[in-house]
Amino acid sequence: MDFELSDEQQLIIDNVRRFIREEIRPLEADLDPDAFTLRPEDDARLTQMVKDMGLYQMDVPEEYGGPGVDTVTRTLIAEELSQHRAGLYAPAYGVFGHGPQGQLYNGTDEQKEKYLWPTIRGEKSGFFGLSEPSGGSDPARAIQTRGVRDGDEWVINGSKLWNSGADTADYGIVYVRTDPSKGRQGISAFIIDTDTPGFRVERLVQVLRAHYTTELSFTDMRVPHENLLGEEGGGFALANDYLARNRIPYSAAGIGIAVYAHEIAVDWAKQRVTFGEPLASRQAIQWMLVDNEIDIRTARWACLAAADKAERGLPFRFESSMAKLISTEGAGRVVDRCMQIMGGLGMSKDLPMERWYRELRIRRIGEGPSEVQRIVMARDLLNIGSGSR
Amino acid sequence: MRIRKPWTEWSDSLESNDLPGAMGVYELADKDQRTLYIGKAGGKSPFGLRGELFRHFSTSDRLARENWDHPRMGEDLPSVRGKARYYRFEVNHNYYSRWIEILTRYREDHEVLPPGNLEDPEHLPPLGRYHWKSEDAQRGL
Repeated sequence: MDFELSDEQQLIIDNVRRFIREEIRPLEADLDPDAFTLRPEDDARLTQMVKDMGLYQMDVPEEYGGPGVDTVTRTLIAEELSQHRAGLYAPAYGVFGHGPQGQLYNGTDEQKEKYLWPTIRGEKSGFFGLSEPSGGSDPARAIQTRGVRDGDEWVINGSKLWNSGADTADYGIVYVRTDPSKGRQGISAFIIDTDTPGFRVERLVQVLRAHYTTELSFTDMRVPHENLLGEEGGGFALANDYLARNRIPYSAAGIGIAVYAHEIAVDWAKQRVTFGEPLASRQAIQWMLVDNEIDIRTARWACLAAADKAERGLPFRFESSMAKLISTEGAGRVVDRCMQIMGGLGMSKDLPMERWYRELRIRRIGEGPSEVQRIVMARDLLNIGSGSR
Repeated sequence: MRIRKPWTEWSDSLESNDLPGAMGVYELADKDQRTLYIGKAGGKSPFGLRGELFRHFSTSDRLARENWDHPRMGEDLPSVRGKARYYRFEVNHNYYSRWIEILTRYREDHEVLPPGNLEDPEHLPPLGRYHWKSEDAQRGL
């Protein structure tokens, strides 16, 4: 495995790095420390710049008009994109485009026309509806939302939890139990318009970071059969593939935060003088900085190894889980150490550390907690199934 | 959900340290307790909730007496100035998402933002939909 960057990769990385440092970071000085969107005029200007760079909608496959960025390069870009205050959950404030959820590429031509293409063009947005109040880490068993066929329609009743963006979305991909006798093979995916009668955002669920998710309810919600995504009973496989693929850039974003926090802490340690010596001369500080560097490099290699396998079409589930676990836990440790080095300043809203600290804590839970990643890896390691029916 | 605290009538006899300097969200209302503005005391607010509330209710003489010469303290909104009579607040570290939540609920119930927020130069992220109105709205509140 050779991780030496090609000239083209280096050029892309340099451009993205410059963009984040020169265009995104200065705007943050005038935004609320917890903001996650840009002013519309800045959003439009920067989106155009990204289009001119040829990197808009880079998660969209080339055959659908995307720029054709390979998984390794995409991972390297993800590490750069998050290197600003809002970068962990709003990399570059979304000006690189919000690609559609991968499952939509499995849709029919009509579904693509109605949902996929408008999403690629930025005219529609969708949410992902998998977890329920009954659980999230074991969706095959926890999904209790029921869909019952009635002629050309499905009648859906139930609820979903932790759906980011469902309050602003035009549609969602929602996982529903359509055959209770078949375990995970009884789960189907539906595309649901958020203006369907019976669809309600019950509440915005406040969490540790300055954003919210939603709790949804579906009451006798009638969805046309043509909105079934993929095969009936094939929903869980669709969701699983999406989750595994998403883990790699998700993991790399955490590394970007660690890199930026570490950079700030290194500068501070060199400048800050205590008891007549710079902090950087203290062994306690040096060790923290070295441990940061070890966490960052370990996570980067794990992410690139996962991306490399995915790119070559090899099984990468173990590697993507490992990358997710290493990067989220490592980045959390890095930011924690940086706050210790920065002292009181690290706690204040003058610096982004406190925001990252809150957000990275969530990262160890979101997209599958560390313990679930270990379960996924153990299954591969021991060559055992999921124990599901 | 909305802020659940009862409205408190503003009194010029309030001292600045009667109010918290912490981050949080607040609402201002007119004499009929109709919401005029939903605001936040965020990470850049110079004096937290205390400063934000005094900014809206105090005269320039009072602000000068308190040595509140930060530029933020001189900012106000025409539909609030002289019309706000009541306030309520919530100390909340997650002021930003809570602020969005209260604004979203208000807009869903009233189909428009409070008048002060329509004038506010503060950038708002896109607000979502609940697809239902609250019981308060159904009771005309």
